[in-house]
Formats: sequence, structure tokens, C-alpha cells
Amino acid sequence: MKNALRNPASYLMFIIPTIALYGLFFLYPMFSSVVYAFTNWNGLEETKFIGMANFETAFGDSNFRSAIINNMYFIVFSVGLQVPIIVLLALLISNVKRFKGFYKTTVFIPSILSTSVIGILWGFIYDPDIGPISAALKFFGIEPIYWLADSKWAMIALLLTNAWQWVGFFIVLILAAILAIPKDIDEAAAIDGANGTQRAWYLTIPLIKPIISVVVMLSIAGAMRVVDIVLVMTNGGPAGTTEVMASYMVNKAIKYGDYGYGMALSIIIFAFALVFTAIYQLTLGKTERIEY
Amino acid sequence: MPASIKKTMPHIVLMAYVVIILFPFVFVVFSSLKENNVEISQAPFAFPKALYFQNYVDAWVQASIDVYFWNSAYLGISSAVLGVLLAAGTSFALTRMKFKFTSKLIYQVILLGMLIPGNVLFIAQYILMMDLHILGKHWALFWPYTAGALPFSVLLISAFMKAIPAELEEAAIIDGLSAPGLFARIVLPLTVPALVTVFIINFLGNWNEYLLASFFISKDALRTLPTGMVGFRDAYQTNYALICTGIVFSVTPVLVLYAFLQEQIIEGITAGSVKG
Repeated sequence: MKNALRNPASYLMFIIPTIALYGLFFLYPMFSSVVYAFTNWNGLEETKFIGMANFETAFGDSNFRSAIINNMYFIVFSVGLQVPIIVLLALLISNVKRFKGFYKTTVFIPSILSTSVIGILWGFIYDPDIGPISAALKFFGIEPIYWLADSKWAMIALLLTNAWQWVGFFIVLILAAILAIPKDIDEAAAIDGANGTQRAWYLTIPLIKPIISVVVMLSIAGAMRVVDIVLVMTNGGPAGTTEVMASYMVNKAIKYGDYGYGMALSIIIFAFALVFTAIYQLTLGKTERIEY
Repeated sequence: MPASIKKTMPHIVLMAYVVIILFPFVFVVFSSLKENNVEISQAPFAFPKALYFQNYVDAWVQASIDVYFWNSAYLGISSAVLGVLLAAGTSFALTRMKFKFTSKLIYQVILLGMLIPGNVLFIAQYILMMDLHILGKHWALFWPYTAGALPFSVLLISAFMKAIPAELEEAAIIDGLSAPGLFARIVLPLTVPALVTVFIINFLGNWNEYLLASFFISKDALRTLPTGMVGFRDAYQTNYALICTGIVFSVTPVLVLYAFLQEQIIEGITAGSVKG
């Protein structure tokens, strides 16, 4: 009687469009990136296999090396500075009785907006002539700072904007994990005389370690991927001080038509992302599954 | 510490954070209603002297925000609809039809797509668009958007469909329904909540997408809001009130959606990121 669900024609009809699109837009580009990364393809000369030359060029280029370092800034900032703040704010929200929903809904807002619009918006806020930060500084008698045009400040300005966009998203992730912990554990500790800080430190944080580890990995992945905010706010400037790997790749490949080189760069970005995630998984991120 | 202070301390910290999140929006809305830069720079934190709605008319018509807006809307909606339907069909075949081994394999391969960061494929997709002769056309965004959302959509919809009890479809098959009929009349209606969530997440992703839109489209009339807005900023560098109006136009639809469907949006976005 179940022939209808064993009909290969219907099965194929449901599967093929998805597989076709997936193959064309995921598998084929992935495959062609790997192949062309070893060629000098630039649309002008004859395409030749050139071995590791693209990779040597990339790591020999001081601009690319400084782009790698800038990606590291994103990692260090988002993991080292943002994650503790995220955990702290999530703990605070989970403990308040009133406005819990309001806090959750509000902090999440920036993560549903377009990064390009956020870039424009913050470009305005950083504006030295009429931006509100300058106005506030002027009130304290401080000269306006050219946030995005000064190589001392541009990177910090980007990191702060990026944090503004994503901290709330991670707060909500962690908050969900905290609220999923059964209440009686916390109550038992309270009866035993543990105060709020002790309960957070010895109870809640160990219990949410797996999700913190997810947040760290997502932060690393995000830091390796970061590009929109750079293109919109500084386009890598001033003088390359905010260039990241992906913006360097996009500019090289599209503006100069160095496709083979661009694909090699994309493989490098992918490799970096995999390596960092693996390192984290094997070291600090090692956690057993927790059963309540 | 007195209990009352202990109770209000968290709220003070959290409210401070909420102010940091909301301040830029308030600032942009105020600025969009100010007449010019002078008024913004003289009193950046003040409420506008007179509500100057002319900016909205100017931005919408002269600065062609209307064009970007409709481009974003129709591309975002059409590609999200197609993506959801394809993913629903595939999820149905993978979870309900009796080709277990093939289905498992296909499912794993599709999920692999969630591991590949989008911008790793960027250059190769650019070349692909050239080869397909659709670079510079809306198709160059439509197809990558549709395809790009598939892994996440299949993941979420499959999880939902697995939970539908088998008795329902057995009865339907005895009544003589074919697999497509079963899908369209029984399973799809039951899956609507998941479809709505996936549709909204995909729509938001398309509406906000910047990288592909800025390099795959060059004609101004074909731009979407994120790229159009950047061009708009570069063109009107000196008129901040007008730029703020543009920001309001671009952010409002998202916030309205969010106001109505915050639970679905938060759940969908966080589920997609954690499982990937």
C-alpha cells in the first residue's frame, strides 16, 4: 500500500532541483576554487598551473600578512573581550525578574540588521565634525578624533561597531542555555547558603560551558569571515590598517582580475578558519556533554 | 548592601547596555527629521526643532531609495519563497519517502554546505555568474541567495517534518494520494510554522546581504538597499539628514517584522547558527 512513498520519479522530482542548485552554487565553486588556486588565471593570459606560487605570493605580501594580523585582532577582541561581557550580561538578564523579555528582545535587534546599514550608521556616529561622539568629547574639552581616518583609531572603531552588532546575538544564545538549567539546582545551592556570585561562578558557568564554547567558535568563525563592515566603513584604509583577509581577497580578485590568486586566498581563509576551530576544539574547548 | 540596591544594580547595568544599543537608532531618527547638518551638529542629542519630513520625500524619490527598496523587496521575497518550497520538497522526500540510505547521504552532503563560510565561495561564484552570463543581472543575486539558504532550510524543515506522525500519511495513501499529493495536501499545511520561520530568516538574510550585491550588480537601477545605501552615502556625503532618512527606510521593514515575529526570528536565527 505504501507504493506512493517508494515512487522513484516523485523522489527525484523533489530532490533534483535542490541538488542541482546546491551542486552548482556550493560544490562546483568549492571544487573550482581548489583547482584554480594553483593557476595564474587572470582572464588575460593563458591559464597555467603554477603550483604553490599563489600561496607564496600571498604570504610574501606584507599587505596580506597585516590583513591576517587584523583578523587576529578581531579574534582576540571578540573572544577575549566580548565573551566575558556576553556571559556577564546574560547572567544578569537571567537573574532579573522584571523586563527579562524586554532586555532579550532589545539586545538582539542589531543582529537582524544589515551590516552595511550598521556601517553607514556608525560612520555617522564616528563623524568628527557632526557626530555625537565628537560632540560629547567637545563637552569635556577634548579635540575631535578622526576615528575612521586615523590609523591609530580606525581598527578600534571597527571592532567596537562589530561588537555592537553581535554581542546581543550571543547574549541571547547563552541566555537560552541558562534558562534551560532546571531551577531546583540553583535553589538547592541557595538553601545551602551560596550567594548570587558564588552560584553564578560555581554552578551556572560550569553548566553552560558547552554553549560558551559554541559562542567562542562562532566568534572565531565570524572573525575570519568579517568583510562587509570593513568594506563599508573604511574599505581597508587608512593606508591598509584595517584590511582583513576577505577584503584583501575581494579587492585583489575583482578589481585586478587576479582570479587564480583570489581563489588561493579564499582557500587560505578557509584553512585558517578550520585550523583555529580545530585548535580550540582540541584545547580549551574540550568539554563533556552535561546531563542534568 | 541593602536589598533594594542589590535588586536595582543589574537593571542599571542592563539599562546602560540597552541605551548603547538603542541610542544610534534614536539619533538617526532625530537626525532624519532635522533640516540640515547645521542643526544636527549644533544639537546632536536634541529633539528636532521642527519635524522636517521633506527629507523622506527627497530620499524616496530623488535619491531613488524607492528603487532600491522594491528591488530588495522582490528579490528578497521571491528567492526566499522559492528556497522554502524547494527545501520543503526535498525535506519531504528525505524524511518521509522510503529511500533511507540515499536520503541519509544526501542530507549529510547538504549539511556540509553549512560549514563552508560564504565568502570562501565568493570569487568562484563571481566567475560562475560570468560563465552563466548573468553577472550584473538580478539573476546573479537570485540564484546564489536561493541556493545559499538551502542547507539551513533543509536542516530546519527536516527536523520539523520528522516529527509528523506517520498515521496521517498512511490514511492519505490508502485514500489514493500520490507522493506529490500527500506533500501538497497533508504535509505542507502541517509544516507551515517551520516554513514561516525559515522564510523570514531567509528573507532577512537576502534583504541584508551586502557582499554579493555590491560586486555582482553594477547598474544603479538594479541595486538593492544595502548597496544602494552605500552608494547613496558616497553621493550625499555632506547631507547627513538625508542619509539618516535612507537608514530609516532600510531598517523599518526589518523592525516591523521583528516586532510581530520576534520569537520565530530569534529561534530561527539562533538554531541555524548553533546547529551549523
